[in-house]
Amino acid sequence: MRILVCFKVTPDFEALREADWVAGAAHGVETRYVRRILNCFDESALEMALRLSDTLAGRGVTVGLGALSVGGREAEPYLKTLHALGYERAARVHSEASLDFAPAVIAALIAGYVRRVDHSDLVMLGCRSGPGDSGTVPFLVAETLGWPCLTQVIEVEPLPDDRVRVACMVDDGILRVTLRLPCVLAVGNAVVSHLRVPTLTDRLARRNKRIDVFRAADLGVDIAAELRRETCVLAGLEGIHRARQGVIIGGATPREKARVLFDSHLKSMIEKL
Amino acid sequence: MHLSREAIVEGVQRIVGPEDVITDEEVLRESSHDRFRLYEDVHGVYTQPIPAAVAMARSTQQVAEVLTFANEHGINVVPRTGRTATEGGLETAVADSIVLDGSAMNQIIEIDTYNMQATCQCGVPLQVLEDRLREQGCTTGHSPQSKPVAQMGGLVATRSIGQFSTLYGGIEDMVVGLEAVFPDGTVTRIKNVPRRAAGPDIRHVIIGNEGALCYITEVTVKLFPYLPQNNVFLGYTLESMKTGFEILREVMVNGYRPSVARVYDPADAAFHFSHFAEEDQCVLLFMAEGPAGIAKATAEGIEAIVARHQECRKVDSEFIATWFNDLNWGPDKIAQEREEIRQTSNICRTTEISSDWGCINEIYENALRRVVNEIPDITMAGGHSSHSYINGTNMYFVYFYNVVDCEPEEEATKYHTPINRIICEETLLLGGSIVHHHGLGKARTPWVKDEYGSSYYILETLKRAFDPNGIMNKGTIIPK
Repeated sequence: MRILVCFKVTPDFEALREADWVAGAAHGVETRYVRRILNCFDESALEMALRLSDTLAGRGVTVGLGALSVGGREAEPYLKTLHALGYERAARVHSEASLDFAPAVIAALIAGYVRRVDHSDLVMLGCRSGPGDSGTVPFLVAETLGWPCLTQVIEVEPLPDDRVRVACMVDDGILRVTLRLPCVLAVGNAVVSHLRVPTLTDRLARRNKRIDVFRAADLGVDIAAELRRETCVLAGLEGIHRARQGVIIGGATPREKARVLFDSHLKSMIEKL
Repeated sequence: MHLSREAIVEGVQRIVGPEDVITDEEVLRESSHDRFRLYEDVHGVYTQPIPAAVAMARSTQQVAEVLTFANEHGINVVPRTGRTATEGGLETAVADSIVLDGSAMNQIIEIDTYNMQATCQCGVPLQVLEDRLREQGCTTGHSPQSKPVAQMGGLVATRSIGQFSTLYGGIEDMVVGLEAVFPDGTVTRIKNVPRRAAGPDIRHVIIGNEGALCYITEVTVKLFPYLPQNNVFLGYTLESMKTGFEILREVMVNGYRPSVARVYDPADAAFHFSHFAEEDQCVLLFMAEGPAGIAKATAEGIEAIVARHQECRKVDSEFIATWFNDLNWGPDKIAQEREEIRQTSNICRTTEISSDWGCINEIYENALRRVVNEIPDITMAGGHSSHSYINGTNMYFVYFYNVVDCEPEEEATKYHTPINRIICEETLLLGGSIVHHHGLGKARTPWVKDEYGSSYYILETLKRAFDPNGIMNKGTIIPK
């Protein structure tokens, strides 16, 4: 099994003040000044791949793990971290142009990398990357590669004969599917949400491993042409009204307050269940 | 004669009322420790003796009666308010302790914007006080990272310090007067005056006592005008901590008082500032505030000093302003951290020390070198200086490690305590202080005699005089 996990380094939107959520003339919300973090869904995918690798290693099977990011140098510290954690291959596709709201371009670059360079048979990535994201990249990657795609993946376990058993969140529960590789898995709200952390010793041992940097042309993609085909345009931004009403419950003692809470609020809610 | 657990509960119930005595087992377990045993807590492991009850005091009189009761019967009492302690100060070192919680004493008694002082009960969250003050154009000037959660009594009891300390000082510079209750039930009030020379400053018997001498029930703090419109932020990247310390020294020695003056080493900077600093760079940052003219002059003076150091590169000040907006820790970040620890077994710890300018860089380098070389499974080791004075500064060591091949209850012994030991040893060796602002708690008492030297006599005598039966937070400040 050869796994490629694609990830995006995103602004930490939680670090923005409410006043910062103003659509700029050209590029949406100003996020230059907040720190960068791993997209949370991609982070789940990266850790899930490591766990798949651990499981198979326990069965004597070696898994080739690779990581890919599309964007600027901000991905390199994360690629180094992934090297230290045991990812064999770490690469980024450099783009000078902003690829926000360009899912088809991102998908073309990922598919180009898989076909021309990496030859992986399992591609994992987050189901979306953050506010304003279309969530279509995994589908477009799968379509371009001609592979099946499962979304809202929360668990993966390896099976013999190049198959995986995948659990996905669906509207009315959890769907469990056995799938033969190759395939694309779009990771959703997985139980595993944090990437493990390498020690300084691990970092030192793998500090000289190379990060491969590709241009779009290396992968057979003409970004300018692809961008002309994109139909998504940021039309505007509108804040979500989050104000909620509150009631301060009276009562002299915690017992009295609990009684008021139960009688006036909880009882009717329970009866409706 | 020692009372049974049941008799202790009944005794406390008679004082504060049964409704305000919590004996739920889960609450008691969680009340047996603080953030020092975070890793154990995350894994639901509780190794400290379980208290008999958590008593919610609602008045000074109730505090006095509970302490009198405990004193008569030799029951250990652990005072607490916002529960943000990090050094084991809230651990119940003795079985069947009473955890005396003052968070229900949460009234702001007076905001006096003419005399520029505010009086509040011990359980007032700093955030609540600060929000009220800002509506009136004032601030306490106190802003620790724990501001959303920490409460006034605990902040004073632990000699807290905030992010704007270089201008406003630590809590000890802000406290005007106090009310505190001693173990025999004596209620003492220290009046609110600008200064007096009537003998020793007895506020300092109370400030920083960590619940080992008395229970703080009320505090009065100074107020300052709140003028955020004048804030000026400055940020720089640079190559070495040594230069960073030197610039901080020059700023202080030349008489400038920015509210914030910090230097981050590359490891810590990578954690906070990777969106504008390279991997191996330090980050130096300042905030100047106050009346417009002072803020402007302070910023200009700092810029002139930094300009003399060619390795410094200025960054867009909006990076620093934005970073400050997201610095404090509320319940949401605490919950996220717990989940991350549970999943990754990776935990962040800190140890803060201080020293004069002459040896701070040496302590920084020596301690970090030893931590990296002697402690296994370290994933990050670095730190920053965040509180400067005319004669020196602090160093806030920040380190992460993976907890490997050990049970949750062994984590402190395998990692945290040995790291504390290294940092304390290296600090003491060069004459610094082993604790800058978190308090000694119980975690750093092994080094308290070395910290105090011959002045330990004064500390020990205070303990004997005010708490002769040893009922106040046993094991805190004074080793068990």
